[in-house]
Amino acid sequence: MASVASVTPAARSASAATTGESRPGLGKGIRLAVFYLLLLVILLVFVTPYLFSAFAAFKTLPEILAQSPARPPTNPTWDNFKTIFTQYDFGRYLLNTLIVTVILTAGQVTFSMMGAYAFARMEFPGRDSLFWMYLATLMVPNVVTMVPLYVMFAHSGLLNTYWAIFLPYVLGVPASVFLMRQYFMTIPKEVMEAARLDGCSESRILWRIVVPISRPIIITATLLAVVFGWNNFLWPLIVTNSNALQVLPVATANLNSNFNSQWNLVLAGSLVALIPMVILFAIFQKYIVRSISLTGINR
Amino acid sequence: MSVAAATTVIGKHRTTAVASNPDRRRRVRTAFLFLTPSLIGVVLFLVIPVIFVMVLSLTRWNLLTPIQWVGFSNYANIFRFDGFGHSLLVTAYYVVLNIPVQTVLALGLALLLNSQRRGSAFIRVICVLPFLATPVAMGVVWNWFFSPTGMINQFLAHLGITGPAWLSDQATAMPVIAFANIWQYAGYNMLFFLAGLQAIPLSLYEAASIDGATKIQQFRRVTLPLLRPALMFVLVTGVIGSFQVFDTVYVMTAGGPGNATKVANLNIYNTAFAGFRIGEASAMSVVLFLIILVVAIAQFTYFNRRTTYEIA
Repeated sequence: MASVASVTPAARSASAATTGESRPGLGKGIRLAVFYLLLLVILLVFVTPYLFSAFAAFKTLPEILAQSPARPPTNPTWDNFKTIFTQYDFGRYLLNTLIVTVILTAGQVTFSMMGAYAFARMEFPGRDSLFWMYLATLMVPNVVTMVPLYVMFAHSGLLNTYWAIFLPYVLGVPASVFLMRQYFMTIPKEVMEAARLDGCSESRILWRIVVPISRPIIITATLLAVVFGWNNFLWPLIVTNSNALQVLPVATANLNSNFNSQWNLVLAGSLVALIPMVILFAIFQKYIVRSISLTGINR
Repeated sequence: MSVAAATTVIGKHRTTAVASNPDRRRRVRTAFLFLTPSLIGVVLFLVIPVIFVMVLSLTRWNLLTPIQWVGFSNYANIFRFDGFGHSLLVTAYYVVLNIPVQTVLALGLALLLNSQRRGSAFIRVICVLPFLATPVAMGVVWNWFFSPTGMINQFLAHLGITGPAWLSDQATAMPVIAFANIWQYAGYNMLFFLAGLQAIPLSLYEAASIDGATKIQQFRRVTLPLLRPALMFVLVTGVIGSFQVFDTVYVMTAGGPGNATKVANLNIYNTAFAGFRIGEASAMSVVLFLIILVVAIAQFTYFNRRTTYEIA
């Protein structure tokens, strides 16, 4: 009995080892092939929409309708872009979007950072209850504030201004405050205390000490603000109706509803909105991938 | 002499006491100075609107005529006359199509790409690219892909299948919209699972395999429980976002065919900014808010209970 009991596990592990060893020879090759096949599928799924619409934007409408979308343009034409930039003012929309995104990002990151520093490393009466208020508003979905905000903006005469587009987001948002506050909390208190003893003012501590060591989280907050500002659609759609103030997502949607199946034009318009973000991504991809994960860890 | 000494003592005493007080006061003032911009933002653009929307939901108002108090009648009328019940069902359908697939795909991508093999780092990066894409612009691209003679149907034709008119077909319109959003956010959500995976100590897997756990058992008993915080983050943020879906719907179907994709946010938009019925639109916003709140709180409590249980 005892011998059986002691033999069985050994035999089992031996057989496991043999099957385990016999697998790699044949199985490893297959597994590797499946792995790279999956990578290829992922690559195609995520890149094809960009690639094919880029192809189409340089084709004429008859070419788009007749050719396979996978075929690169044989005689590329800039006509579609010429049309949307001359007849539909896309240059202006591009500039509008750029201005709004830059202002929104600069304000949101700076002001959120200041708030985050106050919450993380300064003492003042009512700090905890104020922080709870920020946390509570973190859960408020945009759709809830949309109608009352519109009413407020209408009554202050701010509709159809640049201000209307970025004002609700430029003074700092709770998500960004929270994100940076969590990061600042990891900086040892002693660092700030030492600086204070040396006579450093709080704003000097923030800009000269906290900002340099918090670069990853500031990049994250900046990136999230840029993506939000560039892609924001519903709010600009509501608060602007003059042509001169349109941002790219709104202009693209208008182009889409006015030129329903003129794919050459609507795809060229979409590309104008998409390409700057692709370029941003290509330059900062390492930071972007690393920094987005930070938003999850810190929660 | 003695008087002088006394004054210096008092003076000394005073300097220390007073020096710390203005110092403290100055620091408090600086703190509030730092806080002021975001505090104005939070109060003006979040706290006040949340209260204001509840007030507005009790009125009849088109922004021009004087405000009229109507009590809670809007809350009944939006279900009776504005099809808001249908919109909520459609929204829930979208969430159900979107969230499970997106979450499973994100997890699958993370497990696949959490590998040292050549090329996985590059593909990890590629997966995140769609997160930056303008949803409206991508919606246009999908319109083209899923148009009746578009690339998807051309491809199906090669296989001898006649594809449907995707976006003008009641049965397929919403799944296509869900697909568009899954495409956009699966890679983004993958990052949180990847971060979670990389935080799991390898020794746990070694211990499990010494104990004879199979790969599948290791996944169920080690990987999944330890990914729970990442899973909670992905689910909570995903669900909150999905309940507000708007951009892709607006561009791809505008709520059609019929009302098959008229999600809650689109109904609110139409009611407020095409019909200028501020009261009804506000009531819809409040109802949607409560639903999102209840679902989010349910998720939090579920995950908190489960997580404590697992750790204990």
